[in-house]
Amino acid sequence: MARKGLWAINIVILLCLLASIGAIYSLTSKAPSFMLSCSSELFNHEVGTVDSDHYLLVDLVSKDGLAQINYRYYDLEGNSAGTLAMTGKVNKIDAQRQMYDISVTTKQEYLGGSSFETPAHYEYLSYVSGINLNKNGMHSLSIQVLERDETKDYAVVLFQPSNTVCGCRLVH
Amino acid sequence: MQLGHCRFNIDNGELINQETGVVWHLPRAELHVLTLLVEYQGKVVAKPLLESGHEDDSHLSSASVARAIFTLRSFLGPQYETLIETVKGQGYLLRHHRARKETDNKLGRVFIRPLQALLVVIALISVSLVSLWWFNQVGHAVSPTMPLSIETATLDSGQQVDVILYSPSNTNNELLIDQGQQLTQSLLDCTETVWNRAFLSLSHDKQVLNITLRGDYFGQSIIRNLKISDLRQPKRFINPEWLEQVNICDSLPVRLASSHRTQGR
Repeated sequence: MARKGLWAINIVILLCLLASIGAIYSLTSKAPSFMLSCSSELFNHEVGTVDSDHYLLVDLVSKDGLAQINYRYYDLEGNSAGTLAMTGKVNKIDAQRQMYDISVTTKQEYLGGSSFETPAHYEYLSYVSGINLNKNGMHSLSIQVLERDETKDYAVVLFQPSNTVCGCRLVH
Repeated sequence: MQLGHCRFNIDNGELINQETGVVWHLPRAELHVLTLLVEYQGKVVAKPLLESGHEDDSHLSSASVARAIFTLRSFLGPQYETLIETVKGQGYLLRHHRARKETDNKLGRVFIRPLQALLVVIALISVSLVSLWWFNQVGHAVSPTMPLSIETATLDSGQQVDVILYSPSNTNNELLIDQGQQLTQSLLDCTETVWNRAFLSLSHDKQVLNITLRGDYFGQSIIRNLKISDLRQPKRFINPEWLEQVNICDSLPVRLASSHRTQGR
């Protein structure tokens, strides 16, 4: 076989191996860990009643490709008004566009005591996460980072499909 | 003995072209010269030795040797005629180079099929992995949501606040735009504010308005999130009075807003 032919085969094999290594690394590399903590004031306008106010704490933790999102609702006296705990996996991270694609596989809902009013946002989130379940029983969620400052440890993110903008602390 | 694509049969004195099948029964001079060259392959065979008799006492002239070399080269063909090299002033040399190359070819023929098969397998695996990677990249591609509008409110103090609206659709955004204008107006009414950016988004079903305020307070980064649900129709998430009530300008939003709300009840 001609020497040039052997070189061509060697280069093709080398390129194939390099492409394979790159693809394997990309497919098997685990998503980086991060934790967001977001605090929100909740208001609910209803006909004929005064505004009911709660506040919401959202913790979003991602580690080793798994994700956990906890929504904790409290009234202004500090009584728990409900919790939504979601777990899932991080499908994809688009570092360039600062987007995180998460599939929520399990959802657990805990209401506060019967004497406490259920926050409207809790009911809304419970409903939305239910209707967005796909055929595999997963709720697809994407988080887009709109603004981020690592030195000040904050990020403003946009949750889809609910189209919810939220400012969060980056927790190390 | 293989010479290029020819096979030299010393016993029969024949040179056989294996590609064309032509058999050349070598004349005495050519047989003598080639036999000596093969015997001393890789070494220079001196002209006097070539001219001397080999197995008999016959003697070849210098011209006969030169002609024998010429005819042998012609039979080997242009591809392999350089196997017989003229060493100026000394004699002729039968090179190993082509013969070794032929051996490589034999080895190549033996290994060519496994090598090709291996190459095909590697290529298939590589294409599969790259395809998997590509589908993984493209399959879950979600395009980022771009701002619907960015408006800058300049306060009397000269401070500027960017009001940025986000919507997943370009249709029926008048409610979000109206709420953005209400917030801008309230911010313009502030004497001063800690906020330098306000993000607004309305849930896809227009039931929840989300406001995120971002600013700095004595070098500290501060963030305030407000999520307003309104099931009424028409929706009136925010208005200047309500925003004043929740102390939208203030640097200590939660505590002051709570006290305002308590007072408002």
